[in-house]
Amino acid sequence: MYLHRETQMQLIDMREALRQALDEEMTRDDRVFIMGEEVAEYNGAYKVTKGMLDKWGPKRVIDTPISELGFAGLGIGAAMTGLRPVIEFMSFNFSFVAADQIISHACKMYYMSGNRFSVPIVFRGPNGAAAQVSSQHSHCVEAIYGNLPGLIIIAPSNAYDAKGLLKSAIRNNNPVLFLESELQYGDKMEIPVAEYLVPIGKASVMEQGTDVTLVAHGRMPQMCKLVVKEMAKRGVRVELIDLRTVKPLDIATVATSVRKTNHCVLVEEGHLFTGICAETAFQIQEHCFDDLDAPVARVCQKETPMPYSKTLERETMPTVERIIAAIEQTLA
Amino acid sequence: MQFQTCRPYRQRPPVVVDLPGCIGYNEYKMAEKTKTHSHAISLDEALTLGKKLGKKVLLENLRQMLLIRNFEIRAESAYQHGKVGGFFHSYIGQEALQTALLQVLGPDHWYITTYRCHALALLLGATPNELMAELYGRATGNAKGRGGSMHFFTERLLGGFGIVGGQIPIATGAAFSLKYRNIKDELAVCFLGDGAVAQGAFHESLNLAALWSLPCLYIIENNMWGMGTSVERAISVPRLAEDKAPGYGMKGYTLDGMDFFTCYAGFEKIAQEVLKHQRPVLVEVITERFRGHSISDPALYRSKDELKACMERDPIILMVTVLKELGYLDDAVFEQMDKQEKDLVVAAMKYADESPWPDPITLEEDVFAP
Repeated sequence: MYLHRETQMQLIDMREALRQALDEEMTRDDRVFIMGEEVAEYNGAYKVTKGMLDKWGPKRVIDTPISELGFAGLGIGAAMTGLRPVIEFMSFNFSFVAADQIISHACKMYYMSGNRFSVPIVFRGPNGAAAQVSSQHSHCVEAIYGNLPGLIIIAPSNAYDAKGLLKSAIRNNNPVLFLESELQYGDKMEIPVAEYLVPIGKASVMEQGTDVTLVAHGRMPQMCKLVVKEMAKRGVRVELIDLRTVKPLDIATVATSVRKTNHCVLVEEGHLFTGICAETAFQIQEHCFDDLDAPVARVCQKETPMPYSKTLERETMPTVERIIAAIEQTLA
Repeated sequence: MQFQTCRPYRQRPPVVVDLPGCIGYNEYKMAEKTKTHSHAISLDEALTLGKKLGKKVLLENLRQMLLIRNFEIRAESAYQHGKVGGFFHSYIGQEALQTALLQVLGPDHWYITTYRCHALALLLGATPNELMAELYGRATGNAKGRGGSMHFFTERLLGGFGIVGGQIPIATGAAFSLKYRNIKDELAVCFLGDGAVAQGAFHESLNLAALWSLPCLYIIENNMWGMGTSVERAISVPRLAEDKAPGYGMKGYTLDGMDFFTCYAGFEKIAQEVLKHQRPVLVEVITERFRGHSISDPALYRSKDELKACMERDPIILMVTVLKELGYLDDAVFEQMDKQEKDLVVAAMKYADESPWPDPITLEEDVFAP
């Protein structure tokens, strides 16, 4: 049977989805270039940019020295003067070295300059924990950068959203932090062959349910899917919302769900204190105070630096068991 | 005319600048011998250069310097009257170097500077009205009242930046853009203070610019003080450009920033070099701010004698001396020019004062670009 391109599907992993997004946007717009440590000759520390140097050459796929402050700032300057850089951090933990450039320049420039200079730049790379990489390579950065007006923060959970959102991010005229997960680069999914975009700032309802709303982003929605299955066995219908964009937060989709289920559990890979869950819960009580039958619960990383040992690493992070326990407590 | 008699250069070693035919190599040899610091071209060279530039150009540059001086003086008084708030860093004393650079390059390049940004905005065509209105926090201000004294912008001025050294990577990115687009007749000009040389951003930027051959002209305005810390107490080498640049495979130059003609001659050569070779260059321009670090700083760390000595080399007075020598200017014309610029700035204060405040309803507009 002949399949039209519009309906053709491909089974690819997350890194290939990201690579396709980069490749399509570089084809579409010659102002787009990729810069970062090991992105070119090494083919990417996690192989997201595999083959891109061969295809696009060293003008548009650029290896940098280990100099995050320098190349993050350089990217911002390039964005202010008409280019559209995609800057890869090998780990978002290394963005802290470049924090001044992101915090004091990228996200403030458009407003501070009286609309004169916009900063269309994407910072992308793996965020949060991988496998036993210990405290200095495992931090989730979204809560830290979430406190900055002017910054867009995206954290997709699957290949479809990753591709569509990265394309939207590159076309956006604002600085975007695009948070990936090292643990998900190999996750496979069937996605369309034809071009598509996923809008920034729109959460998705991954699973429909009526009893409790479960909200997560980044790597967590995949873990929450297991929770949904398990709870279904126990007769609880969970509505699972993937925020997809952390900031701006799509509180409308969350609130609509909470008004239906009257119960809410928030999940976050990052730390508890002043986390994304804290903000989401506050906005839920602003919008849904009369609809809640129980306090909003949250499952986050515990307040420890990430330990190295497998058993301790597991203990500090959200788990299926902890999420189930939180749901059961909220419904009790 | 006192080009050669600068004050002793504190404890710093004498400086020998190898820039033959540009800024008077012999003077540096002399400076070395006498343990004084001098970066000036000779009066004869200044007169020759002055004749080459001509009366019209020189008077226009003097007018620019008088505009900057008058703008800063009036803005300071507006600050004292409570019309201006926040931080305020005066450019008084440093006018010659940016004026000379703009005369050399013209406005069609990327420019970027520190929080001491009033002069560069004026030189790049921002009006006294819009800048004063910005200081007054009004809707008609240069950045709609959102930036204030430290954040002025023009079409080619990427900003005054408030974090010491923060603008250096941004300038490097502007130079990267030029190279990416294969634009060979423009460059990026990055002004930074002596204090910024201690920042990591300085090191990373120069490494990247030299590594990738980016057309960036980095100009250290060494006004001797990072707030109240003298440069000798902050930087490990005496010559900020000439000692640092070789470590990045770059050329480094030193100029006397108080003298328009020295700056013009030096920048003309250096800018041509950056454009021709498409390589970054590091320049140290020795200058003096006549005020404290900011308006709230009485500069008690600097003795009255020191200040008096540096004010004897007021860049406006030095320029006027040469212009008189050339017969291009007399006291009456100077006073008339000064008054004209003063009137312009006083009118800008009136404009700012009468301008509307930003409507609070606009507060949350433009956080994101469309």
